[in-house]
Amino acid sequence: MAMIDIEDRPSSLWRDAWRRLRRNRLAVAGLVIIAALVVVAVFGPWLSPYDFLSQNLDLRNQPPSAQHWLGTDDLGRDVMSRLIYGARTAFMVAVGVTVVAVLIGVVLGSIAGFYGGWFDRFVMWFTDITMSVPQLLLVVVINASLKQPISLWMEARYMETLNPIWRNSQIIDFVLVFGAMALITWPPYARLVRAQVLSVRRRPYVTAARAMGLTNRLILTRYVLPNAMGPLIVAVSAGLGTAMVLESAFSFLGVGVTPPTPSWGNMISDGLRVWTNYPHLLAAPAAVLAVVTVAFNFLGDGLNDALNPKGQK
Amino acid sequence: MTLLEIKGLTIDIARDSGPARVVDGIDLSVTEGESLGIVGESGCGKSLTMMSLVGLLPNRIRATGGKALFGGRDLLKLSAKELRKVRGSEIGFIFQDPMTSLNPVIRVGDQIAEALVYQKGMTKAAAKAQAVELLALVGIPAPEERANAWPHELSGGMRQRVMIAMGLAGNPKMLIADEPTTALDVTIQAQIVDLVRELKDRLKMSVVWITHDLALIAGLADRIAVLYAGTVVEDAPVEAIFDRPTHPYTRALLGSLPTLAGAAMERLPSIPGTPPEPGRRPPGCPFAPRCGFVQPSCSQSVPKLQAMPGDRRHKVACPVVLEGVA
Repeated sequence: MAMIDIEDRPSSLWRDAWRRLRRNRLAVAGLVIIAALVVVAVFGPWLSPYDFLSQNLDLRNQPPSAQHWLGTDDLGRDVMSRLIYGARTAFMVAVGVTVVAVLIGVVLGSIAGFYGGWFDRFVMWFTDITMSVPQLLLVVVINASLKQPISLWMEARYMETLNPIWRNSQIIDFVLVFGAMALITWPPYARLVRAQVLSVRRRPYVTAARAMGLTNRLILTRYVLPNAMGPLIVAVSAGLGTAMVLESAFSFLGVGVTPPTPSWGNMISDGLRVWTNYPHLLAAPAAVLAVVTVAFNFLGDGLNDALNPKGQK
Repeated sequence: MTLLEIKGLTIDIARDSGPARVVDGIDLSVTEGESLGIVGESGCGKSLTMMSLVGLLPNRIRATGGKALFGGRDLLKLSAKELRKVRGSEIGFIFQDPMTSLNPVIRVGDQIAEALVYQKGMTKAAAKAQAVELLALVGIPAPEERANAWPHELSGGMRQRVMIAMGLAGNPKMLIADEPTTALDVTIQAQIVDLVRELKDRLKMSVVWITHDLALIAGLADRIAVLYAGTVVEDAPVEAIFDRPTHPYTRALLGSLPTLAGAAMERLPSIPGTPPEPGRRPPGCPFAPRCGFVQPSCSQSVPKLQAMPGDRRHKVACPVVLEGVA
């Protein structure tokens, strides 16, 4: 009788992928940088040397020094503290937007790919339309048309209840920026998932699952989706980086996070106006954004190689 | 008792140029506890016939006519939901390729248990225990440990045993085996055939074994139906097929089997030509263009299955040969 030895510890596909990922130095470097970002984002308030809002008008536009490692900006705020708080903004936006976009993409894409028919045509038609609208334009339109009414509505709630939560401008920022960015970033996820589902649902084990009388919902969630996840994970890793860049771009243009909440994008925007005199105000946030974006791309590439071993030599 | 009776089944592929017929009026029956072998070349419609019974035909391929009575119900008339309940619990399947027919991200025991939970409403723990029992039933050593193995950790023969366990999980009355040994080594093939035969007797179920390998099912089937281009050309008990093959196609098939007694350097006979493509079948008997016994009358009408004189159970769809015998 044919038998093979089974390892003491059964190795799963994911464990194999993790082993391959660990061998990729760039991917590990990316992973370390991202882990550092997460730590800074989560523990920011305890790590930052100053409050990111406190101004010191006697110490404006200071170059880096022992007191202010990365200097101060035009209102005398500590740049390092603002960068750390900006990491929080970037991280929250990236994760929030990506989670919402991936959820929409997975649900719509998998149902479209698995069942086909009119729903599939409708979803694909909708992604085509969304993807054909210039992203920046869409976000500007959403911001311009919704920010005012929502602010007014929240101010009215505040007058009624005197609950300070209604005066928190960060909430508007996040709802609007998250919503607008999720709206423009979900279509590629939906298309990717749909394409994967289309190919996986033809595999023999899906037919075998049908022949066992399993329900469509069970086949989709247990047989099709888990086997369609590889490329999605790669896309998510790259998408997190893209979402950060996008948030910076919108903040840079003034349609993202509203000052004084620090975002790398609005710091770059502020720094750009004075960079000939105070280059560190531009260099610090720009360098951080670049490093983090590159880290996400390294990790994405590494994951791609780790999850698709057939792609290599 | 007849368990399954297929009458005049037709299956069409929807093409842009119109429907093309792939199964053209098949009549087949399976009695309880019987094992039927369905033999034919690739594309003769043997898999499609069986898949059509439980609503597993690919897109654009449909059963367009005929009946398939299973336990008194016409399977072709059931709703998708009713068919889902037939699958697994009344008709079990084993598929061709054990390497790709198991979900790579679920441990094999869980894969069997999952089917049990949803088919029979068992609790997870009971289903798991049952899965281990099923693995033991199909002859997997150390079933408790193997239940926790991933599919890629098992050999082809082991995986096919797991597939069989999955096919049996719902305790079906009929097991359809669609070329389950094609992807396996010859020695493993024999083991799988023995296993299925033993299980058939022990569990008192019917087996339909689809294959293009005549020699393989000689030891397994009670009866053999030979298919050609979507029609049954000969249907007879297994001894009759091998001792007195009657239809020219069956004779040609058996004639092209290698034998140990044959001269070593002799060229193996083959049937000239290729089967007709769907939608391009010749008028009358589909085998006529390749047949050595062809008569002008062969292209007049499609021959019907007729019992041989003296043997009611031996049916042949060839008036030319039947007249010669008579």
